[in-house]
Amino acid sequence: MTTLGPTLLPWLVALPLAGAALVPIVARRDARWAGGFTFAVALATTALASVLVAQLASQGPFSADLGGWAAPYGIELHFDRFAAWTMALAALFSFVIPFSWRYLDATLPRERWAPFYALMLLNLGGLLGFSVTGDLFNLFVTMEVVSLSSYALVAVAGRGVAAWAALKYLLLGAVSSLLVLFAVGLLFALTGSLNLADVSVRLAAAEPSGAALLALASLAVAFLVKAALFPLHVWLPDAHAIAPSPVSAVLSGLVVKVGIVGLLRVLQLAAGTGISLEPLNTVLMVLGATAIVMGAFLAIFQDDIKLMLAYSTISNIGYIVLGIGLASPFALIGAFVHVFNHALIKVTLFLAAGAIIHQTGYRTLSDLRGVARRMPQTAAAMAIGAVSIVGLPPTAGFVCKWYIALGAFEADQGGYGFALVFGALFIFVYYVRMLDAFFFRSPVRPEVADAVEAPWSMRAPVLVLAAACLVLGVLGGIPIGFVEPAVVDLLAALGR
Amino acid sequence: MDVVDPRPLLAPLLSFACAGLVFAAGENVFWRRFWTFLAAGAKLLVVLSMLPGTLAGTVYVSHVVTFTPGVSIALRADAYGMFFALVSSTLWVLTTIYAIGYMRGSKDRARFFGFFALCVSTTVGIAFAENLLTFFLFYETLTICTYPLVVHAETPQALRAGRIYLTYTLLGGGFALIGSVMTLDLAGTLTLSQHGVFASDTPTLALAAVFVALVLGFGVKAAIMPLHGWLPIAMVAPTPVSALLHAVAVVKVGAFGVTRVIYNVFGAEQLQALGFATPLALLAGFTILAGSVLAIRQDHLKRRLAYSTISQLSYIVLGAALLTPLGALAAIMHVANQAFAKITMFFVAGAIVKETGKTHVSELAGIATRLPWSMAAFTVAALSFVGLPLFAGFTTKWYLALGALQGDAWWFVVVMLASSFLNAAYWFPILHLAYFRAPEVTPETPPQATPDASDGSHAGVAAGGPRRWETSKTLLVPILICAAYVVLLGVTAEVPGMPTSVAVVAVEQSFGLEAPLP
Amino acid sequence: MTLLGLDLDYVACIVLFCVGLYMLVAKSNLIKKVLGLNVMETAVFAFIVTSGMIDGGQEPIVVAGSAPPYTSPIPHAMVLTGIVVAVSVTAVALALIAQIHAHYGTIEVDELKELP
Repeated sequence: MTTLGPTLLPWLVALPLAGAALVPIVARRDARWAGGFTFAVALATTALASVLVAQLASQGPFSADLGGWAAPYGIELHFDRFAAWTMALAALFSFVIPFSWRYLDATLPRERWAPFYALMLLNLGGLLGFSVTGDLFNLFVTMEVVSLSSYALVAVAGRGVAAWAALKYLLLGAVSSLLVLFAVGLLFALTGSLNLADVSVRLAAAEPSGAALLALASLAVAFLVKAALFPLHVWLPDAHAIAPSPVSAVLSGLVVKVGIVGLLRVLQLAAGTGISLEPLNTVLMVLGATAIVMGAFLAIFQDDIKLMLAYSTISNIGYIVLGIGLASPFALIGAFVHVFNHALIKVTLFLAAGAIIHQTGYRTLSDLRGVARRMPQTAAAMAIGAVSIVGLPPTAGFVCKWYIALGAFEADQGGYGFALVFGALFIFVYYVRMLDAFFFRSPVRPEVADAVEAPWSMRAPVLVLAAACLVLGVLGGIPIGFVEPAVVDLLAALGR
Repeated sequence: MDVVDPRPLLAPLLSFACAGLVFAAGENVFWRRFWTFLAAGAKLLVVLSMLPGTLAGTVYVSHVVTFTPGVSIALRADAYGMFFALVSSTLWVLTTIYAIGYMRGSKDRARFFGFFALCVSTTVGIAFAENLLTFFLFYETLTICTYPLVVHAETPQALRAGRIYLTYTLLGGGFALIGSVMTLDLAGTLTLSQHGVFASDTPTLALAAVFVALVLGFGVKAAIMPLHGWLPIAMVAPTPVSALLHAVAVVKVGAFGVTRVIYNVFGAEQLQALGFATPLALLAGFTILAGSVLAIRQDHLKRRLAYSTISQLSYIVLGAALLTPLGALAAIMHVANQAFAKITMFFVAGAIVKETGKTHVSELAGIATRLPWSMAAFTVAALSFVGLPLFAGFTTKWYLALGALQGDAWWFVVVMLASSFLNAAYWFPILHLAYFRAPEVTPETPPQATPDASDGSHAGVAAGGPRRWETSKTLLVPILICAAYVVLLGVTAEVPGMPTSVAVVAVEQSFGLEAPLP
Repeated sequence: MTLLGLDLDYVACIVLFCVGLYMLVAKSNLIKKVLGLNVMETAVFAFIVTSGMIDGGQEPIVVAGSAPPYTSPIPHAMVLTGIVVAVSVTAVALALIAQIHAHYGTIEVDELKELP
């Protein structure tokens, strides 16, 4: 048993990537097979991740050295609680893929199904690689796998507007990737190592220098662009709103978290270097609080439900960044947990919105009035998601808000606690509009008045996810207990 | 003495489960009623089964799940919680009967009864909350579940009222959250099972911030002025909602929260030393008078009732803020006294609308000949509010006055007297109109679109002839039971085993004050 | 040779990076934007390769007779991978521009912004 973890770890990344390569072959006979195959790969990956998490729970963090080269020279994959927590993110793919089966019927021509599924698996592989890699350069490579597949996924629907949104996303994304590459090169020049843990040690041993500061700052800025932190968010709303709904779910729930996970890696790197994190933390707190309010403010003016959801991602990234900036134990726990909880909620919302759009053909609040009468289950899931994302109990969103607010007072930054709590309520302004329109108004469109519930392959993932939002609200202690040791480690490394 | 027992959890859980089944039953009338009554009945039985223990001083505790280290979701049925749970469970059964009659033929009844059940379930959760986190969880759930009931009519006014309701209550919830978080940060615990959680060396400024945040948070639902704006507007909801939620469940939850803050978060002794309670008492005194003055000006019956509610709720807050045993006793008893009297009035107001379509006080001339039994019940409730002996309201005022004198705050006695006069000033004109003025000759406005044709209680409705002389049984029976309770609460104030004795236990056990009565 | 305390090579990289950034930000033509991106990428690649260089260093191939110092091979490996990534990004970008052109008939940002 002892060696199982390191043996299996490389397969965690290899499995979806190999699956992605195989999708076109599977789809040669019949494009519909691609969906089933992708689901199988996603499930297998999730199962593998569960085994690894079980290993982690029983015997602590472990590493695998690729190609038999020992760290710090070889490429190291490292599986700790931090990585394990992001596995939960990847598990959400198992919900998105079956949702896509029927969704693609209406939105994509059949010859694009295979590329769609292949890109989804590439994205999954990249995300997994990003969270388990212990190597700086691989951090860049896996990040690019995620980014490139995301650009393509935004454009997959193939209309001009999608291509334009994707290109805007690409141009900013490429610049931030370039910053990461630059920082990686600089850090290698400074330390002669690419292994994350090793670089951290060597940075700590060396004199604090302007170059090290520059490298870390570039990384931080680059990851904040990836995370779409206000005011670096400009690429996000269009890309997330225009992509097909399963893609929006993945992008908004999961891909932006690449930036957050990357930011936490920067913190790990900076730990012990003697570089003061105070300025960074202050910037993160201010920008986080601003993002919460501005994301909500911008969302209020949207009529398109997917744009609304996209803007709320900006707000929620604000929560997480605020939590990281506060840097107190409770705030960090809240931020960590919100990385997953937000993904869960956002995937629920985007899939529910996707189901509604798929069944009615409309996507604005004014057109979708009264849709809850015809699609009560999907609309109920949407309502649960809405309540959850605002952070009202008893839902998954509340747990994080509670912790980050507590962390704010713990760090003697009560003002940010206020910003968080009332900024979050501000978000509710537009969700109330949505719920009003869906539940308490009469249909204005015949398609809405005659809509039927979504097929089960779409409805089931949505309902299960919505139920999970409620369950995690009551059993909030479980994820907290899981991430707490990771936060303790991080804080210990940061010398607090 | 604390005893681990599943029943405090069982009570809300049972009704939550049944609420889910109510939704599932959809438009199937039989099953919907079945599950609603099962939920209401089962919950009442569970709560009643704990009553003997409570009277003997036992506190039942169920620990549900650890939310965070040191903070759990836990339920604890102490005497004060039991008192509140008993009131809300009893009234739920009565309101359910009434609502079935009242909502007959209207649309979206599955949604209505489902959320109704959810609301009442959360009320019990709040009553039994062991700590501020559990309290807050249920408190916000209540806010969300009430929203669909407020906007039930789906008219623009209803939607607007819903938005205003949410704005007030969610902002309040935000303050409650901030207050809870600050409490945890300062005291390291959120429990409501002690009489004060803060160490004596906690900075006064921080404590003031906590007090203001928590009182703002819960005071919104208790409609303490100037946080009362949502209550009159929310009266667009169907009458059973106004009755149970906006006279009892929702607003009492706010008052209940304020008392918990006073006696369990801060504790009487510490609060006395800090002196925070006096401004709150003054605010409550102001609300009592201002609410009554505003009520006089309302012609719309339900709005008049709403302002009266605002005024009456502050009796509870005032009683609690006096920090004296008798004041606390009055506060607890008023939870029940006001609830039964006010719900009677709402039920009657609903019956009047249902039968005659009349919504304004000025239209009520001679209504007593049309609805004699209902108006008799209304009269009982009105006399109770004015504070005549033998009615429930008198006991509150009596103990409140004694409590004020105990605390050397004689001027609250003046407030109480003034309030009695004001109450008389807005209830007696209604009674005068109803009993001593001839009905107007104009034909009755036809009642709501669907007549209660399926109801067999009225005999011989000839075409064009006068309708039956009273309202349907499903409306009348709850009205009369509630009115009977008002009298019962008034005459049994010092009889052992009656509600007062629970309140007496609560003052000692839950508030940590000396026994108010020998 | 140094300028402002930096090796001249690095200064060249920085200048190149800024040229690219200017193209990316200021040009309206999408192809030019992508070219700007490429210039920036080249600047970063050049920087990384330069960082591995040592004065008088040999190619890092250990055969009989070779002796330290060697130039570091790892930056080269990194840049090689970086180029692959950059080419992929460029390819995706060009494909998207082609789609934009096919759909809107223009690749000028000013004109695209005016479209509904």
